Amino acid sequence: MKNSKLQFKIKNYFFAVSVIFALLLIAVPVFAAEIYFKTDSTTVRPGDPLEVLVSLNTEKEDINAVEGTVLFPDDILKLENINEANSILTFWPEKPRVYDGNKIKFAGITPGGYQEKTGLLFSITFQAKKEGAGIIEIKDSRVLLNDGQGTPTDVKTPNFQFSIFKEAPISKSQILVSKEDKDQPEEFKPEIAQSPEMFEGKYFLVFATQDKGSGIDHYEVCEGSKKKCVIAESPYLLQNQELNQEIFVKAVDKSGNERVVTIPAQKPLPWYKNYFVIAILIIGLIIAGAILRKILWQRFIKSR
Amino acid sequence: MKSIIVTVFLILLALLSGSVYASIQEASTSLICGDGICSGSETCSTCPADCGTCPPSGGGGGGEAYIPPAPETKVIFSGRAYPKSTVTLLKDAQIAATTIAGVDANFQMSISGLSAGNYIFALYSEDKDGRRSSLLTFPVSVTAGATTNVSGIFIAPTIDVDKSEVKRGDNIAIFGQSAPQADIVISVSSEEEYFAKTISDRDGIYLHNVDTTILDYGVHYTKSKASIGNLLISSYGQVISFKVGTITVLKEIKPEISKGDLNNDNRVNLVDFSIAAYWYKRPSPPSSVDLNGDGKVDLVDFSIIAYFWTG
Repeated sequence: MKNSKLQFKIKNYFFAVSVIFALLLIAVPVFAAEIYFKTDSTTVRPGDPLEVLVSLNTEKEDINAVEGTVLFPDDILKLENINEANSILTFWPEKPRVYDGNKIKFAGITPGGYQEKTGLLFSITFQAKKEGAGIIEIKDSRVLLNDGQGTPTDVKTPNFQFSIFKEAPISKSQILVSKEDKDQPEEFKPEIAQSPEMFEGKYFLVFATQDKGSGIDHYEVCEGSKKKCVIAESPYLLQNQELNQEIFVKAVDKSGNERVVTIPAQKPLPWYKNYFVIAILIIGLIIAGAILRKILWQRFIKSR
Repeated sequence: MKSIIVTVFLILLALLSGSVYASIQEASTSLICGDGICSGSETCSTCPADCGTCPPSGGGGGGEAYIPPAPETKVIFSGRAYPKSTVTLLKDAQIAATTIAGVDANFQMSISGLSAGNYIFALYSEDKDGRRSSLLTFPVSVTAGATTNVSGIFIAPTIDVDKSEVKRGDNIAIFGQSAPQADIVISVSSEEEYFAKTISDRDGIYLHNVDTTILDYGVHYTKSKASIGNLLISSYGQVISFKVGTITVLKEIKPEISKGDLNNDNRVNLVDFSIAAYWYKRPSPPSSVDLNGDGKVDLVDFSIIAYFWTG
């Protein structure tokens, strides 16, 4: 009896040791990047805004590319705004945009790499619709190393839990008055380019800038005149392939501030094809002709 | 009467020549706000970045209060690159300024007219043989009206080898450029990482011969970093590879076209990003755009472009 009890204890002991040993062997990555959510408050009242910052902790890894899909419960949250202002991602193969009503896909790069703990990717502002609880999560995420090969690194994506109820305390985002954005978008230099790999080798325009306040809302391209503008995305196929007119590129932020950049005509018309020059010549010839006629008439009269 | 005719013709001639001159010169005149040139229709009110801030309006005699101009928002970068090298500053991945380092490799440059916010600045330099250093990035939070100093920058050395393949037992030369009289540490990957030390000369040039007897057959990677005293230490620069085999193949000593330079203009910038963006998630991209050769243009290809970025 005693022996069987002893054997039972020994077996339990070895089992416990084995379990602990197995748990130790399951290695949690030490250097895994993390895409996480940050907010002032996880509890809000119905009708209140809920601002969530999607951020990156590279955990000492040098990374230069991030992508993923944010999923949120659209039955209790209404998407109000997505803001890329002050993002560490400078260029976006896929700007964060909503699709299917409850998903925000994004993909961006930061040339030269980034190696910090609190890198803002973008912020999302929701409005709490009704009471309830939910989670915001990230799926299909990838974080790539700045190693010239695009090597992926491990990434953690903890969920963000929140709740909406009437008795929730007033959130800080309600108390703080948001600063009005009066600054123009950053200076930028659009470039005209050509490549056999796209647009059948035709000239196209590339442009990009940032806005540190409210974020870029859209760009407009005006070919020849500021009165003929279209909303455009880079790369933009130029309508005027002769490149003989000025091009104006306007960056507009979400507060309505604008910055306009002018690209002069790359192949201006020769003077003999310039209507203004021709008009001056014609007027000049008419005036000269009239004056000469008067002089000759006066000489004719005198000679008689 | 004659004077009237002469006057009219002179005016017409002036108008004509002005138009002709403008049409010829227009292509070379850069009328871009932010290019540092106050030209054409740019004024202090439409483009203060190029034309400066407008002076306060005159006080008159009525006791108007003088409002001093707002303090400038500025960031100053200083450090060491290579002797007389061109140092390029990127602001959010686009070229913002360039300068030439001194004979002692010291450089300083500033950028002003910024808005308050978070920026990613990056610096790189080019050595005497046209080799570019790796990008050194600095996330900076800029406060309105304040000057931020980023000092103690030490751009990593450039690196190259004289052979793409070396017969085991022969020497391979690893060389490049850094600041003058800097301590250079060269790392060569092998079964165990192999380290060598040397000192750059007064022109910042360094060279070290590695006896490949100590290396295994196969591909190896090498990189270098520099230090001056214990105060200034650079990070490791770009990594390059060479092979230890049974034959020796000399490498042409000229800068290679960067991977990511999709339009072959010797730069990796927004144009190359845009070409890749055009083919993003589209079927059958050209092989020149599909940088990792996996049959598609996705985040990996953009990561490669980001690594070789020059602005």
